[in-house]
Amino acid sequence: MDLIISLVINGLATGMLIFLLAAGLTLIFGLMSVLNFAHGGLFIWGAYTGVWVYQMSNSFILGIIAGIIIGLLLGLVTERLIVRPVYGNHIQQILITLGFMLVLQEMIKVVFGPDQKAVFPPEYLAGSFMIGDIVLIKYRLFIIVIGLLIFILATIILKKSRIGLIVRAGVMDKEMVQSLGINIKLVFMLVFMVGAGLAALSGVFHSIYSGVIYAEMGLEFSILAFIVVVIGGMGSFSGSLFAAILVGLAQAFMAYYVPALSLAVNMLLMVIVLIFRPQGLFQVKE
Amino acid sequence: MEGLLVLKQVEAFIQHYHILHDISFEVPKGEVTVLLGRNGAGKTTTLRTIMGLNQVSKGTVSFKGEAIANRTTHQIANKGIGYVPEDQGIFNGLTVGENMRVAMKKEDEETMKRMEWVLELFPDLKKYWKKEGGQLSGGQKQMLAIARAYVNKNDLLLIDEPSKGLAPIIVDKVTESIQQMKEQTTIVLVEQNFMMASKIGNRFYIIDDGVTVHHGKMDELKEDKITMKKYLGIS
Amino acid sequence: MNLRHVDKSTWIYLAASLLLLLVPFIVTGRSMQFIFIQIFIFAIFAMSYDILLGFTGIISFGHVMFFGIGAYSTAIVMSRLDSTIGSFLLGVVIAVILASIVSFIVGVLTLRLKKHFYAMLTLALAGLFLVAAEKWRSLTGGNDGFTFRLPEIFRDSQNMYMLCLVSLVLIFFGLRRFTKSPFGRVLMSIRENENRTESLGYKVVHYKVIASVVAGVVASFAGVLYALSLRFVNTGVFATDLTIDVLLMTIIGGVGTLVGPILGAGLVEFAHHWLSGLADVHWIFERWIILYGTIYILVVIFFPLGIVGTIQSKFTNRPLRGLRDNRKANEKKGRRAS
Repeated sequence: MDLIISLVINGLATGMLIFLLAAGLTLIFGLMSVLNFAHGGLFIWGAYTGVWVYQMSNSFILGIIAGIIIGLLLGLVTERLIVRPVYGNHIQQILITLGFMLVLQEMIKVVFGPDQKAVFPPEYLAGSFMIGDIVLIKYRLFIIVIGLLIFILATIILKKSRIGLIVRAGVMDKEMVQSLGINIKLVFMLVFMVGAGLAALSGVFHSIYSGVIYAEMGLEFSILAFIVVVIGGMGSFSGSLFAAILVGLAQAFMAYYVPALSLAVNMLLMVIVLIFRPQGLFQVKE
Repeated sequence: MEGLLVLKQVEAFIQHYHILHDISFEVPKGEVTVLLGRNGAGKTTTLRTIMGLNQVSKGTVSFKGEAIANRTTHQIANKGIGYVPEDQGIFNGLTVGENMRVAMKKEDEETMKRMEWVLELFPDLKKYWKKEGGQLSGGQKQMLAIARAYVNKNDLLLIDEPSKGLAPIIVDKVTESIQQMKEQTTIVLVEQNFMMASKIGNRFYIIDDGVTVHHGKMDELKEDKITMKKYLGIS
Repeated sequence: MNLRHVDKSTWIYLAASLLLLLVPFIVTGRSMQFIFIQIFIFAIFAMSYDILLGFTGIISFGHVMFFGIGAYSTAIVMSRLDSTIGSFLLGVVIAVILASIVSFIVGVLTLRLKKHFYAMLTLALAGLFLVAAEKWRSLTGGNDGFTFRLPEIFRDSQNMYMLCLVSLVLIFFGLRRFTKSPFGRVLMSIRENENRTESLGYKVVHYKVIASVVAGVVASFAGVLYALSLRFVNTGVFATDLTIDVLLMTIIGGVGTLVGPILGAGLVEFAHHWLSGLADVHWIFERWIILYGTIYILVVIFFPLGIVGTIQSKFTNRPLRGLRDNRKANEKKGRRAS
C-alpha cells in the first residue's frame, strides 16, 4: 500500500512538472496553430538560469523568479524573431523552431559549460515526512501543491477574466476576435511569453526534482511535452493536465514494475492515441 | 458631402483568383445600404475586404474620410466598424455572456446601456445568458452576432446575410431589430432575401462578378423589373 | 540510346561524377577520403529525405529509423556470418526488406495525420527504435554497440570510396528518374495542394505511402554504407541528431531538388570537419552547431528554396515554391468567400 502511495505521489509530481511545460505549448498551438519545437529549449534555459541564481544567492525563491524572467524574455524573442516571420506555414514553423531548439541547447553549453550540474533542494524543502509507514518526500508534495495552484489560477484567469476569454475565443475563431477590434498579435505574444515562462518555471522545479541538469534535457522534454499535448488534445488546457498526470503516473509505475519499458511507455501512449483518436482525448470546440 | 464609407475601384484576390474587379460604392450616414447580387458575385468578399480580412490589391477604401485599406483588422474595427460575418462567428465554447464580454471594449455606463437596449431587443439572449454559443439555434446565434457588433459604439455595422438559413418568422424578428438599430447607426447589409432587403434598405448596389454594376434607391428598384431579372433573377 | 535526347544537365552530372572518381587519386590522405565517403553516404540519406520533404511535402522527424535499420542489419549479419561479399549482400537485402516493411506499416498508420502530428509521431517511433536498440542487448550490444570485420575488398579505403560514390551516382540517377516520372509529378502536386490532388481522383495516401517506402529503402541503404564505413555500429545510428543533420543538409542545399541535398551534405560535413578542427584555436568552435543552427534558421526564413533552389529559380524564373505552404490559410479564406 505504501509503495503504491509513493508511486502515485511520484507520478503526480512528475505529471505536474510536465503539465507546466505542456500548458504553454497547448495554448500556443491552440491559439496560433504553431507547434513550437523550441519549447524544451525554454525549459532548460529556465532550469539553468534558475539553478545558477539559486546557487549564487542561496535563495530558491530568487532562482524561481530568475527562471520565470528568462522564460518570459526568451518567449518574447522566440515569438518576434523566430515564429512571427513564418506564421501560417506549418512546414517552415516546424523546421525553424527545431533549429532554434538546437541553438538554445548549444547556447546553454556556451554560457553554463557543457557538463551536467548537480542540484540540491533548499533546506526547508529537503527531507520527508512520515505518516504511519508512508514516507512523503517534501519536495514532491511541494511540486504537486504548486502545480495545482497554477492550474487553478490559470483556469480562473482563462474562465473569468476578459483576457482569458479573448484567448479562448482566439482558439475558436481568430478572425472574429480581430473583427471585434482586438489585436490578436499582441494576444499571441502575451500567450507565447506566458507559455515560455511556465516552461521555464517547470525547468527550475524539475532541476531539483531530478537532482541534475544537462543541456540535452531540452529536446527530451520537448518530446515529452508534445506527447502530453497530443494525448490531451491540442489546445485543451485541462486536457493537458489530465494527460500530463496520466503520463506521469504511467512513467512512475512502469519505472518500478517494467523498467525496460519505462522509456517507451509515453511514446506508446501517444502512438495509440494518435492512431485511434488523433484529435486527442479532450477536444476544443471550434 | 462624402459618404461615411467610400470604396473606389477596389480590387481583391483570394489566392490567385481575382474576385473583386471594380467595386465602388458610397454609404451615406444614417442609411441602410444593401449589397445585392447572385451567389458568388463577391458580396461577402467585399465586406471581408472592408474589414481587412482580405487584402485590397488596388483602389481605395475610406471610412470617415480616412483611408483604411490594408490596415490590420483590429485597427479597422476600432475605427468604429462592427462586423457580423456570414457564419456569424460565434465562439461556440463560450457562453452568450462571455461572447458579449469578449466584444465589449469598455464596460462603462454607456456600453452597459447599449447592452441593456440590445438585450431588450433580443430577450432570448438574456434568457440563455449562460448557455454555450454552440448550443444556440441559428436565429439565436444571429441575434448574438448582431448584438455583439452593436454593443460597442460603432458608427457602421456590416451585416452579412442575416436571414441565411433562418425560419421566416425569425427572419421577421431579425428584420424588425435591424430596423430599430437603423435609427442609431449606419448599416451595410448583404442580403439575398429581397423581401427583407427591400423592407430595410434605403439604397442598393448590385454586385455582379466582382463589379458594382448598378445602384439607386431601394424604392426605384422595386419598380425596375428588368434590372431585377437581369442581375438578381427575380421576376 | 540516342544521345541527342539526353538532357544537358545529365552531362553535367556525369562529368561531376567522373571528376569525383578522380579524387582518391589526388587526395590520398585516408582522413580526407573518409570525409568524402561520409559526404556520399549522407548525400544518399539526404536525397531520400528530400523525397519526403521536398517532393511530397511531408516532414518526418523519424527518418533515422530506416538509416539505423540499414546499419544494424548489415552489421549484425556481418558479425554473425563470415565477412564475405555474400554476407554483405545478404545484409543489404535484409536491410531493404525490413525498411520497406517498416516504412509501409508506419506510412499506412500515420500518413493520414496532419503534418505536425506526423512529424511528432515519427519522432516518437524513431525514439522507440532507439530504445529497442538500447534494450535488446543480445542482438545490438546495447549502447556500446559492436565492431565487425569487413570483406577483404572493402578494407581498402579507395575501394570503399568507389563503392559509395557509385552508389550515390546510381541512386541519384534512379531517384531523378523517379521524380521526373508521372508518379513523381503526382507527388509534387500533393506537395503543392493536397486537397486538389485528392479531388482530381488520386489516392493521396497511396502515393505518400509509396514515397515513404522509397525514401525508407534508400535511407536504409545509406545506413548500410554508414555501418560499413565505420566497421562499427551503436545506438547512435538511431539518434534524432542524425535526422536533424539530414534535415539541415536538405534545407541548406535546397529542398525539392536532388542536387541540393548532395551539396548540403558536402557543405555540412566539411563545415563540421573544419569547425571542429578549429576547436583547438578557440573553444567556441566546439559549439559549431550554434552557427549551423543560426544559418539554418536564416535559410528557412530568407532562402526557403536553399542554395540550389535559389539559383535555379534565378535562372528559370520558376515561381518560388519550396517550403511555402499557405494552404491552410487559404482553405479558411476559401470557405468564407462568397
